Amino acid sequence: MTKLEIKDLHVKVKAEPEHPEILRGINLTINTGEIHALMGPNGNGKSTLAETIMGNPAYLVTQGDILIDGESILDKAVDERARLGLFLGMQYPAEINGVTNAEFIRAAINARRPKDDQIPIMQFIKQLDATMDQLKMPEDMADRYLNQGFSGGEKKRNEILQLMMIKPHFAMLDEIDSGLDIDALRIVAEGVNSMRGKEFGTMIITHYQRLLNYIVPDFVHILKDGEIIETGGAELAKELEKTGYEHLKVGDANA
Amino acid sequence: MPETLTLPNAPKIPLRRYLKQTKDDALVAPATVDAPSTVVVDHPDSVVMPATNDFEKWLNAKPQSVTTINIPAGFSDQTPIKLTGPVDGGGLVHITIGENANVVFQERWTSTGSMLGIAVAIDIAAGATVNWLAYDAFKADTVLLQRTVNMAANTTLNLTVAGFSQNSGASLLTTNLNGDGAEATINVGVLAAGKQHLGYATAVTNFGRKTVGHINQRGVITDKAHLVFNGIGHIVEGARGSDAQQENRVLMLSEHARGDANPILLIDENDVTAGHAASASRVDQRQLYYLMSRGVSAVVAKRMVIRGFLEAGLGEIRDADLKQELFDAIDETLVNADA
Repeated sequence: MTKLEIKDLHVKVKAEPEHPEILRGINLTINTGEIHALMGPNGNGKSTLAETIMGNPAYLVTQGDILIDGESILDKAVDERARLGLFLGMQYPAEINGVTNAEFIRAAINARRPKDDQIPIMQFIKQLDATMDQLKMPEDMADRYLNQGFSGGEKKRNEILQLMMIKPHFAMLDEIDSGLDIDALRIVAEGVNSMRGKEFGTMIITHYQRLLNYIVPDFVHILKDGEIIETGGAELAKELEKTGYEHLKVGDANA
Repeated sequence: MPETLTLPNAPKIPLRRYLKQTKDDALVAPATVDAPSTVVVDHPDSVVMPATNDFEKWLNAKPQSVTTINIPAGFSDQTPIKLTGPVDGGGLVHITIGENANVVFQERWTSTGSMLGIAVAIDIAAGATVNWLAYDAFKADTVLLQRTVNMAANTTLNLTVAGFSQNSGASLLTTNLNGDGAEATINVGVLAAGKQHLGYATAVTNFGRKTVGHINQRGVITDKAHLVFNGIGHIVEGARGSDAQQENRVLMLSEHARGDANPILLIDENDVTAGHAASASRVDQRQLYYLMSRGVSAVVAKRMVIRGFLEAGLGEIRDADLKQELFDAIDETLVNADA
């Protein structure tokens, strides 16, 4: 089992030091084997939390710590964090011309393996074909340039393809359901569910209960005004679907 | 040289200063050509080359190695005809391609020297299809180079210039769409490093009706190098139904790298389509972050972004070995730049 701990995390946007903190003391522990859902109104810090854990250089940690198995990762660059087992399925994946999807995924897998033990090409292709098949992605998407000209839904599916090929310990999935039709949503959810196990934990950021019908969370957290104001089980998400966030106030978590 | 020089249109390229220098004057062995026996290769004492301005006169000035290549009408072979420039000098190359020929051509230059002049003229007769690759890997200090292509009716040219040289200087590429229905796609991919100061002027002129000229230039600049891209699309009066498009983009990798992208569109006819795009930018941090978030190192991520950027200029290169050679050259240059 691996443990990801967020302790009293305060975060600012690096380019806007005069602006107030976006995250104001987040405490959260995710163990592998657990599925956490992070919900809350727009613009309250959910993506900032995921990006900061991943190591996006646009954000500045002003207080607190992020630890994997007790060791701080704050001074580690984004690629080191990835190799330690973190993965972020992004809301807006970048498009990279000239690098094929397959080539990139292989480079990502090989970055985790020693130089003298790179993944054999046939084994890689087999695994890629099977995973793409599972996600119902057309074959030619392996040879297309990374996210280049992909539709919104294709990009999201491609994030899950990378997740399933790289097999991280912790996946943060940022609005992986946006832009997906109902069939695609089910396929993507099945992909994530197939990762479930003792060595995999995830934090799913979503606005909609619908995704959580397919990927049933163990914990649901509500993030508002830069703080986690409530934590509950899967039923909390269902409740919110009826009541909305408006009635929830900072400080309620301790009440 | 006279005090007032007549010069081709090449903004921000110091041709006047370059032409004050003396061209290397040792007569060297001419270019070698690897071609089927139906192709006539000769090395006459002189050849008629374009000579409309002082730049061209400078290029033509003797002594000069001369190579002529005559590809007959109806020639059809997808095996590349290969021209290799002199190892230690420049020269003149004149190529004629006969009617309805279908030709794949590769030029390769690795010449050493201090001040080289190179002129290549290509005349393409009606109905011919030409896939052309120019691989410039000069080791000389300074090179002034001009390629001039004249295209007759219903010809097709797909030209890629891979600029991986160590020299400073100028590269002028002029394509004249003389005949109706002629179509040219000109791709230029350049890697500039060290203290190189390089200027490219890539021009396509639509003379014929329903002609199509597309220019796509991509340059990566590192160290203290300076790269200038001029794209010149000119549709003359009467060239109805023609199309001129161009894209000039430079990517700067270091603090002291300098890049210019100048799109120039000259339109003298109403019934045409034309467009341009240009940018001078640094490596996209969002792209780097995305790639690195999957575990690849900063160095590998940067190379992927750069390779992708150049791909748009070099994507037409079908020769897998050559492509690998170019990618290796990119990696090597970047390793040196990182050090």
